[in-house]
Parts: sequence; structure tokens; C-alpha cells
Amino acid sequence: MTRPSAKEVKAISDTAGIVVDAEVANRIANSIGPAFDGFAPVAGTLPFDLEPASFLLVQGAKVVK
Amino acid sequence: MSEDLALMSLTAVAKAIAEKHVSSHEVTRACLHRINEWQPRLNAFMAIEAEAALKAAKEADAALAKDQNRGPLHGVPLAHKDMYYETGKVVTCGSAIRRDFVAQTTSTALKRLKDAGAIRLGSLQMAEFAYGPTGHNSHYGPVKNPFNVERVTGGSSSGSGSAVAARLTFAALGSDTGGSIRMPAHFCGVTGLKTTYGRISRFGAMPLSQSLDTVGPLARSAEDCALLLALMAGVDPEDPTSSREPVGDYVAATAASIKGLKVGVPAAFYVDDLDPEVARALDETILVLKREGADIVKVELPDQRQLTAACQLVLAVEAAAYHKRWLIERPQDYGSQVLMRLQNGLAIPGVSYLEAMRWRGPALAAHVAATSGVDVVITPVAPVPAPTIAESDVGNSPGAEAVIQRLTRFTRPINYLGLPALAVPSGFTKSGLPIGMQLIGRSFDEATILAVGAAFQRATDFHAKVPKAA
Repeated sequence: MTRPSAKEVKAISDTAGIVVDAEVANRIANSIGPAFDGFAPVAGTLPFDLEPASFLLVQGAKVVK
Repeated sequence: MSEDLALMSLTAVAKAIAEKHVSSHEVTRACLHRINEWQPRLNAFMAIEAEAALKAAKEADAALAKDQNRGPLHGVPLAHKDMYYETGKVVTCGSAIRRDFVAQTTSTALKRLKDAGAIRLGSLQMAEFAYGPTGHNSHYGPVKNPFNVERVTGGSSSGSGSAVAARLTFAALGSDTGGSIRMPAHFCGVTGLKTTYGRISRFGAMPLSQSLDTVGPLARSAEDCALLLALMAGVDPEDPTSSREPVGDYVAATAASIKGLKVGVPAAFYVDDLDPEVARALDETILVLKREGADIVKVELPDQRQLTAACQLVLAVEAAAYHKRWLIERPQDYGSQVLMRLQNGLAIPGVSYLEAMRWRGPALAAHVAATSGVDVVITPVAPVPAPTIAESDVGNSPGAEAVIQRLTRFTRPINYLGLPALAVPSGFTKSGLPIGMQLIGRSFDEATILAVGAAFQRATDFHAKVPKAA
């Protein structure tokens, strides 16, 4: 997963129904970019059958020390 | 009337009222006296409801005279972050958009405290829509830190941190989505409990991020937090995300010994790039816990930067989705920084958001495995003590997100994992600014972190330090 460019940010925002100008798109791209960089090692590596709600199962599991 | 009444702990004042050593009216007047004295300097309250509070206090005293005790908080005056709905009350959420919003329902957390006998002093300031870690608010002005009014309180529960520290209210509800209870607790020298995701109902609390939002108290001690948690915890039919996990005996836990408990100290990330005074406070806190009988164990945690990033992706998208209508119709009514951060969520594709959500289970499992040998993990709440209001007033400048990320880098991983964490006052800088540590527990094991926090507070007096009026 790579960080989106300002041009891509503008396209995604416009598609979501919120039109942003080039300056705002550039600021968003710079602002959110580090989150994409940080998550990059995980992105695209998750197993096919992984269910998002598996979090609740792990949360409720009893821990054995 | 004695102003000293306002300096009592929540537990002590509730007992004193119940046993008729003091009246609710006397206690409420003492709080209002301090509020009048401090509010002009702190800006901690959004609304002060003096007349209604005194009337409710008289009614509480009259009921007690007839031996009608409503519950463990009978006649105790409290104020909460202005995002908890109460039918008929204006709930601004710290925003201009909701300046005149009148709630049509009452939040479950508030209702449970009210059912236990608490009375309302007013509402407390907060970051706009709970989306800011410093305590700035471009609509209502910054909340000031009672230990130094040039310094931030932390956010987003800024008024809660400031008011509890200055002894204007015995405790206050906050909310924690990325650190919003723990940051003000750290900066203002109070005790703050971020609960396990699902432990307390979120019904009637303003939403920011449905996967990360948690309700919890800021108070003067771990014991006071335990009392409030015991009253609020438990499943709520109004909130489908509230958990059916059994509710512990949190108050009893605060009297427990911590002899033999294992406290984990991370080998990296949480000990990197610390302000020297925060690093010293961490070392000294560890020594105190060791002296109290805890075993200190080094732990190797999974990469926390990935957790922080995942948290940011989830929070940004969910916040943007809640706010989308107003982003279209009323963008001019947001403060510049909140608008910028809400707009950030627009840039994240749905697939990236869902990947961050799908990874949550494995990430928590990895944390559980890494910490299976310890009962709690201790870390600083933030790498630095409270910055000045001026230096952290970054608005929507290019470097704003980096400032926010630096302040919240130790708190966000915990929100992503949904774990409970107790922030406890753990020292002061040479210039008198509070420093807090967070005790991170296992899911739904608030009892153990409260036990460790209470044991630490029996051995130290950082939590008892009252800021002085200038």
C-alpha cells in the first residue's frame, strides 16, 4: 500500500461527494501519508479468510499465563 | 462552609454525605465556590448550573433526612465532558455546529451515575467533537492547566482534566478514542481510566469512531475511578457493542496487594525519545512498584508503529463518515484543525480501512502472546510533559498532524487494541508540571490495573497534590 498522491486524494474525495481544491488535497496527502507508510508492512499480507470481527473473539478469550 | 470539602476524594465525600457528617448542600456550595474562583483562569466549564445544583443538593439532603439514600453517589455534585446527552440539556460537543443542540435522550453512563444519586454541577469544555489532543478549541478558547495556565491540559477531555485537577468537581466523565482521557490525566496530574472497548455503554455519547470510542472517568485516585466504573460498567441493550463480560469488583480490587504481580516494561518504542524528566519518572515509578512487591519484567512488544498507523486509518475514516453531511453543508463552521483532520479521512480507500479493521484481531492476539508472562504493562502516557498553549497552537499548518502524532504515539496503539489503561500521576517536573504513566491491562481486566494504580497511590502522594491559586 502506497500513500496516495494529492491528485488521487482529490479524485477519492470528489467521488465521496466532498469536493476539495488542489491545496487541500495536497495537505491531506501529506497529513495522512505517514499512516499509509506505517501500515504498509501489513497491507496486502492478511489471509483470505480473516474476518474483521475476529477481534471480538480474541478480546473475549481467556488468557492463560 | 469550608472550601476543604471540595478537596476531599469522591469516595470520602460520598461516605461523608451518606453518613450525614456533611450535607450535599455544603459540598455543592464548596465546589461552586472553587468554580467561581478558578473558572475565569481555567475556562474548564462549558456551563455552570449553580442554582439547579443547589436545588438538587437540598432535595438530596431532604431525601437523606427521610433515610432515602439513592445510591453510592447520593448528593455528590459532578460535571462531565459536554458530549454526554441528557434529555433537555444543550450538549455542544465543543462545537459551533452543536452550539444549540438540545439532547432528546440521556446517555446510559450519565443515567447510571444519576441513578446512583449524583447531581449535576454543569458541563465541561472539550476539544471540538473530541478530535484534538491538546485542549485547544477555536470556538470556546483553550482550557488552561491548573498547574501552569500557560500550559495545555491535553485533550480531548480538556475540561475534565482541568476541573478534576483544580478540585472543581470530584470526578468527571471523559472519552478516549486515541488518548483523550489519558492525555489530560497525564498533563493535569489526575487519574484517568480508559476502559476496555465495550466495557461501558456508549449509548447517548457523541460518536467519533465507533470502533475506538470508549467511555471512562477522570478522578483524583484509582479508588475513585473504581467506584465510578463499578456503577457504569455492564451490558446495555441500547448499545449493541456493549459487552456481556462479567463486571468485576473494582472497588475491592483497589485494596488488594500487588505482591508477586508481574509488571512488564517494554524494551522499545515506549522508552524511546523520552523527555529526560519523563524517563526519570518512569524509572522511579518502576522502583516504587518493585518496593510494593511487584516483579518487573522486560517485554518485547510487536511493532507499535503499525498499530498507531492502523489506528489512524480507522479513526480518520470513521470520523469523516460521521461528519460527512456537515462536511458538505457546513465546512465553514468547523475549526481549521478539526476540518483538516476530518478531511484526512476522505483520502483513505475503503479497502485500506477494512484491512486495518481485519488486522485488529491478529494484532491483539500478537499483543496477548507477547504479554502472556505479565499482568500489566507500564509506559509513559506521552513522551513529554505539557507543552505551552502557544507552541502547540498549530491549527491546520503543514506540521500539525506530526505534532498530534508525536503527542499521541503512546496512547493510540492501546485504542486500536481496545485494551484498558489507567493513567496515574507519577511525578512532577522541576518546573512543577505533572507527569503520568499508563498501566495497560488485559481486555476486561480493569481490576488489575486499578489494583496496581491504588497500590502505587498508597505509596506516593503525586495524585494528592492540589494546584495553588496564583
